[in-house]
Amino acid sequence: MFSRLLTQSFRRDWRRKLLAILTIALATTLMTALASLSIDVGDKMAREMKAYGSNIHVVPKSESIPLVIGGVDYNPLTGRDFLQEADLPKIKDIFWRNNITGLSPFLPVKVAMTRAGDGGDTGSEVQLLGTYFKKPIKVEGSEDFMTGVTTTNAFWRIDGAWPAEGALDEVAVGEGLARNRAIAAGDTLSLAAQDGGAPRKVTVTGIVTAGGAEDGQILAPLALAQDLSGHVGKVASVDVTALTIPENDLSRRARHDPSGLDAEEYDTWYCSAYVSAIVHQIEEALPDASARPIWQVADSEGVVIGKIQLLMLVVALAAFASSAMVISSLLNTAVMERSREIGLMKALGASRAAILALFVGEAVVIGIIGGLIGAAIGAGLAQVIGVTVFGSAIAFPAIVILVVVVGSVLIALAGSILPSRTIAGLAPVETLYGRR
Amino acid sequence: MLQGSIETYEEFEVSDPEKPRAVIETKGLTKSFGALKALDGIDLVIREGEFVSVMGPSGSGKTTFLNIISCLDRSSAGTYLLDGIDVSTMREKERAVIRRERIGLVFQQFHLIPYLSALENVMLAQHYHSVVDTHGARAALARVGLAEREAHLPSQLSGGEQQRVCIARALINEPSMILADEPTGNLDAENERLVMELLATLHREGRTIVLVTHNPDLAERTDRTIRFEHGRRVDNSGRL
Repeated sequence: MFSRLLTQSFRRDWRRKLLAILTIALATTLMTALASLSIDVGDKMAREMKAYGSNIHVVPKSESIPLVIGGVDYNPLTGRDFLQEADLPKIKDIFWRNNITGLSPFLPVKVAMTRAGDGGDTGSEVQLLGTYFKKPIKVEGSEDFMTGVTTTNAFWRIDGAWPAEGALDEVAVGEGLARNRAIAAGDTLSLAAQDGGAPRKVTVTGIVTAGGAEDGQILAPLALAQDLSGHVGKVASVDVTALTIPENDLSRRARHDPSGLDAEEYDTWYCSAYVSAIVHQIEEALPDASARPIWQVADSEGVVIGKIQLLMLVVALAAFASSAMVISSLLNTAVMERSREIGLMKALGASRAAILALFVGEAVVIGIIGGLIGAAIGAGLAQVIGVTVFGSAIAFPAIVILVVVVGSVLIALAGSILPSRTIAGLAPVETLYGRR
Repeated sequence: MLQGSIETYEEFEVSDPEKPRAVIETKGLTKSFGALKALDGIDLVIREGEFVSVMGPSGSGKTTFLNIISCLDRSSAGTYLLDGIDVSTMREKERAVIRRERIGLVFQQFHLIPYLSALENVMLAQHYHSVVDTHGARAALARVGLAEREAHLPSQLSGGEQQRVCIARALINEPSMILADEPTGNLDAENERLVMELLATLHREGRTIVLVTHNPDLAERTDRTIRFEHGRRVDNSGRL
């Protein structure tokens, strides 16, 4: 009988029910899309933010010894100790290797620069920064890994072309230096190492805008810097970009002292993509290196992603509340229209719970149907957003469907609270005789 | 038992142990709507198995009285004993139990659910009483002469047929009392006769029946008539 009442209620009042279902579907579409994005936005945003710079800086261990007095670094080993270029593939061999999305080695060299045509100018001292631009490196057991500043510093812009990888006669010049010295792409420069080695003639392939100190430097293939400095096979530092998850209490404790964690905590930390865990693993892979998170980047990622997720939650809650109010209004109108019917049921001895069950049953059916429709549309919308905003599809966990359908039933139930109170307040004698 | 007699107030007051037990007993029953008193101190007793008519002009309070004794409404003052139990102070939940367990209601406006068939309208009362029994519901419809019309919606039935569905719904749970409010008010003569025959049959089976009507011819077919005027009981001369 209950199902008959429920079915008939839908059949004879299908327009209002359809409107309620569409309302729920609209809200759950939004909730599904936001839930899917919220789950995947961490990775997506982290990838996006990696375009704005690396988040891990690796230097020789000797340089990590703090010896700064009055702001002046008195560490005698600074600039004198190096990492081995041949060890770079080891960074891609750690536990979280798949989260390492880029790396760039650096070797700074002070050189005397003379522009061709400047006559007898003895040259001014500038910094030349040797690095990879776009260089695949061999990684054991997997495909070649693309390294270089075009990956780790994707926001750098070049007017012209990047120097050829490994070339000893091509450089790019920072925008500030080029402006000061009137250097343009295609110019020829003469670079001499400070130890007095033979000067090298190089061609400027492009002007780089980096927005940092690099704008006043010459950017050269690592091989040229090694050749000019005499440090063949060596690099001074490596910047690494890694996909990380926001820090929490566990990772903050581990950052200060990993040995202070118990075995279970250590496993959890080690097997999570915290920046501190990845740094720890890089130091395990390169025993002579010291890896340091660039906290401004690592922390801001977590903060930004956290704020985006909070924003999504607020929007989802707003959708929840507004659709619950619409449902409440629709159901309340239905209750008032069916007040005589409700009065009859009460006159026949129906308990308040039995009548409420009918309306709550309707709400649940509306919630389930609307939720399923909304979940399907929302899944599609999430993909559209993913492709449009992030350039790739959004992962869609099946649990989202369950959560969203339960959420939509809760919307419908929340919307039936006020109508339920109306039902409770209907006196059979008033409704049967049309006094209400 | 005198057909169509209109009892006097004094007659009602006499307590006779030989008479059947009182199923409805009101003392000082009053119902006010603001300053208006729809019922003003009604004292009466209706005994088990009686077929009582309640008569009076429009606005005399007879429907208000029926609503209170059927537990659809509450009195403003006074007491109402149903089978010796004071129901005037009961909570709504308990009154709902009384309505479904002991009272069968017949309305002038029928009050059938428009989207349920005749059979389903009868089964609705079963649904709220205990369990749905299709055979029992069919038997109830057969009893009111509507076995062939069970699948029809109310809109497909005549007024008389709708009222008979209403009577079938009222008796499906075997109530001890049938309370009918102008059950023939919207019917033609033939259907009026059919409905009154049904009520008479239910009375012969031992049920207590209270019939609210303004039709003296119908009142004459009951055991006795209680007359209301301006919310008060009067005797056949209109005396308070």
